[in-house]
Amino acid sequence: MTEATAEAAERAAPQAPTARMPLGWLLLAPSLVFLLAFTYWPMAQSLAQSLRIETFGTDAISWGFGNFGRLFDDASFRRAAVNTGIYAAGTIVPAIVLALALAVGLEAATRFNALLRSVVFFPVLLPLVAAAALFLFVFLPGIGLLDYHLAMIGADRTNWLGDPDVALWSLIALTVWKNAGYYMLFFLAGLQAVPHDLHEAARLEGAGAWGRFRRVTLPLLGPTLAFVSVIALINAVIQVDHVVVLTKGGPSDSTNLVLFYIYQQAHENYDYGKAAAATVISLAALLALSALSLRTLERGAHYES
Amino acid sequence: MHRLRTIAAAGALALAFGGAAAAETKIELYFPVPVEGKLASEMRNLMERFNAEHPEIDVTAVYTGSYDETNIKTRAAIKAGRPPAAVIMSANFILEYQINGEIEPLDPLIEASGETPDAWMGRFWPALHGNARFADHVWAAPFHNSTPLVYYNKAHFAEAGLDPEDAPDTWQELVDAAKALTKRDGDRVTRYGFMLPGNYDYLGWIMTALAMSNGGLYYNPDFGGEVYYDQPSMLGALTFVEDLIEKHKVTPAGVTDGKAVSTAFFAGDASMVILSTGSLSFIRENMKEPYGVTFVPRNVRNAVAIGGASLMMPKGLTEEQKAASWTLMNWLTSPEISGHWSRFTGYFAPNREAYDLPEMKTFLAANPDAQVALDQLAYARSWFATFNTVAVRKALEDEVQAVMSDKIQPAEALKAAQAKADEIMAPYVAQTALKLPQ
Repeated sequence: MTEATAEAAERAAPQAPTARMPLGWLLLAPSLVFLLAFTYWPMAQSLAQSLRIETFGTDAISWGFGNFGRLFDDASFRRAAVNTGIYAAGTIVPAIVLALALAVGLEAATRFNALLRSVVFFPVLLPLVAAAALFLFVFLPGIGLLDYHLAMIGADRTNWLGDPDVALWSLIALTVWKNAGYYMLFFLAGLQAVPHDLHEAARLEGAGAWGRFRRVTLPLLGPTLAFVSVIALINAVIQVDHVVVLTKGGPSDSTNLVLFYIYQQAHENYDYGKAAAATVISLAALLALSALSLRTLERGAHYES
Repeated sequence: MHRLRTIAAAGALALAFGGAAAAETKIELYFPVPVEGKLASEMRNLMERFNAEHPEIDVTAVYTGSYDETNIKTRAAIKAGRPPAAVIMSANFILEYQINGEIEPLDPLIEASGETPDAWMGRFWPALHGNARFADHVWAAPFHNSTPLVYYNKAHFAEAGLDPEDAPDTWQELVDAAKALTKRDGDRVTRYGFMLPGNYDYLGWIMTALAMSNGGLYYNPDFGGEVYYDQPSMLGALTFVEDLIEKHKVTPAGVTDGKAVSTAFFAGDASMVILSTGSLSFIRENMKEPYGVTFVPRNVRNAVAIGGASLMMPKGLTEEQKAASWTLMNWLTSPEISGHWSRFTGYFAPNREAYDLPEMKTFLAANPDAQVALDQLAYARSWFATFNTVAVRKALEDEVQAVMSDKIQPAEALKAAQAKADEIMAPYVAQTALKLPQ
């Protein structure tokens, strides 16, 4: 009897998915409430604010795309957008290459490798704010850690954070140092899933180390690479702690990133319309890029199951 | 019967005390820590003392970060309908709260305590009045104030053949001394004669001091919609900065953060630096070599802008909170507390009477650097405050930073800064100076 009803239930279930809907919603509710309250509602508010046009000293409100027009006319915004592009490319590519190299290099589970992995992973444990505060003194011209050692090999002093041509690259270097260990962790996990016999087979066929990496490891790490790329992209847009601590976007906006620009518009200029317009633009760009990168990378990825 | 009466009396007493405890007014004080040093823990100590002396008030001191962050948090609290009862606010932000109608004028409270606004303001140094009393009302009580000051390494002076007791008074003397103090190894500079902080906020304040020393005003103290960036006084000041870097090569190119400037001074990497008087205690504690302080040198006249913070009271408080906040403000600006905080931080005490107290006289005798800072007050003026102060300041700072990195020439830079500042202030100007009879 029990077998029969169970079978009947199984057969009946796909026909009546709505019967299970309330339970589904109930199970989803806790996270949905938080998502709605802290993600989708603020997004909707930002969108509304970006279309709302207020005039100082009057209560008049109109609606339209005026905030977006003013945003694109603002040289500081264009500068911040370009900086964010350079910063994203400059942090994502080197951090991933470095993380991948470290993961492959430190894959074998020896005691020495375990130590090295901890060393590489250490910067991840440090909050970005604290790392930035430390780097203020690393980057000090002339007397900082970096210049002190560079002077030994005869290099002149460099104003790492105060030269508009160098400052953004200093922040990029700090970010790569900070994030490479984190991404390495994902690649190490991904490497565990690469079947050993494939390597064996490749070796028997006479493939060298580079060939095995290129033909076996890398394709099989596809899903990990896709995941890490998206994480790295999001990090490049949402991490600005070091900008706040080290440069406040200066000198002359040379290290200003879009997120910090939004902060400045909202809290220094009280221009909430422009801040909201910039928020909407960066959200749209982020969504489009995530969708694009997930799709293209997943298409090329080999899933093993 | 007798016993019963005792019990009743005890009960009444308990009720009375219970009532008193319930009537204790709870208020919050937002306070920033703008300079290096142990200011936050000392503020906690002060509040414990205030609460012990005033059982009817319970103040919680809330640390709110830098001046700019304190401004943001105060605005957020006002928007949320839960304003703090008192805020130690950067003195040049007070104007914006007045423009936005978010601040309580203090005149009614002053008059209720039986004083006139003139008499009440009279206790503060005259240089501080401009940022606290404007538009016909008193808006703030000066709490701790500063001016820029030149700190110099006496050992370096002696080594370079300069008289350690004769610091530069003019821009010419500053350049001459800086040239003598700068050390080179071929083309490489191994020690800079002069450094100034170039980070946002600090740079604007230093440029104000230089423009003022060059006869300028920087901004219109009576109208928040005008700044004087594209003017000869500012052009001279900016060209002077450019010359220090590129012509005389006694100052490093690019931006040097205020923290990097003080570190360079301690490390002997810079012989003269310009920093806030608010850093006096920090420098006194950390500087190993003998140092002296002197006024910001003049080209046309001696003049600097004040800095520092004032106590303000946001709108939207209950009568009890206002009264409690008023008691707190008067306590914090009293001669004794004013003097104590001044000795602890290095800021000067805004209350002139603080300097009549014996502790202060002993302190000044032992610390002549604090006396120099005080003497410069005679030449101090109001701090720039406009509509959207921070953005208007940044308009100049971005261009000055570009000049310091040799990206643009001073005259061109100031035109750009003026245009940007005018654009930022345009909405306010349209509602005020350009709002004409129809």
